[in-house]
Amino acid sequence: MGDFVTWMRATGVSEWVRSDPMTWPIMEMLHFIGMSLLLGVIGTLDFRLLGFMKGIPMAALRKLMPWGIAGFVINMVTGVLFFVGAPDQYLKNPAFYVKILFLLIAGLNALIFETRWGSRVLELGPLDRTPTAFKVAGVVSIFSWFMVLYWGRMLPFIGNAF
Amino acid sequence: MDFLTSLESTGFATWLRESGSIWAYPAVLTLHTTGMGVLVGANWTLDLRLLGVGSGVPLQPLEKLFRAMWIGFWVNAITGVMLFAADATTKGTTTIFFIKIGLIIAAVIVAVLMRRVVYPRGQQPAVPPIAKALAALSIVLWLGGIVTGRWMGYIYQ
Repeated sequence: MGDFVTWMRATGVSEWVRSDPMTWPIMEMLHFIGMSLLLGVIGTLDFRLLGFMKGIPMAALRKLMPWGIAGFVINMVTGVLFFVGAPDQYLKNPAFYVKILFLLIAGLNALIFETRWGSRVLELGPLDRTPTAFKVAGVVSIFSWFMVLYWGRMLPFIGNAF
Repeated sequence: MDFLTSLESTGFATWLRESGSIWAYPAVLTLHTTGMGVLVGANWTLDLRLLGVGSGVPLQPLEKLFRAMWIGFWVNAITGVMLFAADATTKGTTTIFFIKIGLIIAAVIVAVLMRRVVYPRGQQPAVPPIAKALAALSIVLWLGGIVTGRWMGYIYQ
C-alpha cells in the first residue's frame, strides 16, 4: 500500500490537486452540488418506482434522468480527484470502503434494473399498478444512495482524515 | 457575556462541540448535509421541469415535491441552529454566514412564490413565463447556498 500511495502522490494529477489551497474546497462545493442533483432526480425516480406520484408516466419522468447522471459524473470526477490527491487519507479509512461498497450496490442495482426492466419501465403509465420488482429496485436505490452520503460525510470523523 | 458567547457555552453546545462522540457534531452535520440534498435536490428537479426538461411530466403530481422540500428545510433549520450554537462566536461574526442565510431565505421565498404561481388554488397548474424566471433564479440561489455553506467549513483555518 505504501508503494502505491507514494506512486500516486507523485503523479501530475495528484500534485495538481494539492498545488493550490483553493482546489480542494472548490471540488468539495462541486461534490455537494453533484450530490444534490443526483439525490433529487434519482430520488424522485425512485419514489415513482415505489408507487408515489402515480399520475406521472414513467417514460416522461425518465427524461430527467440525464440530469441525475450529470450529478453522478460530477461526483465521480471530483471523487476520483480527491482520492488521487490524498490516497493515504482514504485507503486508511474504514468509512471509505463502506462508501465504495454502497456505491457498488447502487450501481449494480441500477445496472440490473436497466438491463432487466429498462424497456418495461417505460410502459408504466399513470395509475398503473407498480410491479414488486420496481419497488425493490426503488428501495435499494434510495437506501444505498443515502448510505453513500452518510459514509462519505463521516469520512473525516471515522477515519480521522482531512 | 454577550448572546453569542452564552449560546456557545450552554451545556448542549459544549457537548455538541467537544464530546468527540460520532453522535454529536458528526451526526448533526451529516443530517444537515442530508437535508440539503433532499431540499435542494427536490427543488432543482421541479426547477428543471418548469424550465422544460421532461415537459411530458404532468405538473399536478409533482406538487408532492414540496413535501420533500419542507421536510429537508425543517431538518436543516433545526440542525442548522444546533451547528450555529456549537460555534456561535465564530459563525455569528462571519460575513459569509450572513450571505449564506440571505441566499437561503431568498431561495425559500422563491420556492413559496413558485408554488403560488404554478399551483393556483382551484385552477389547473400551469407554467407562465414568470414561473420559468423563478425556476432559473431558484437554481442559482441554491447553488449560492451550497457554495457558501461549504465555505463555512473553512472559516476556522
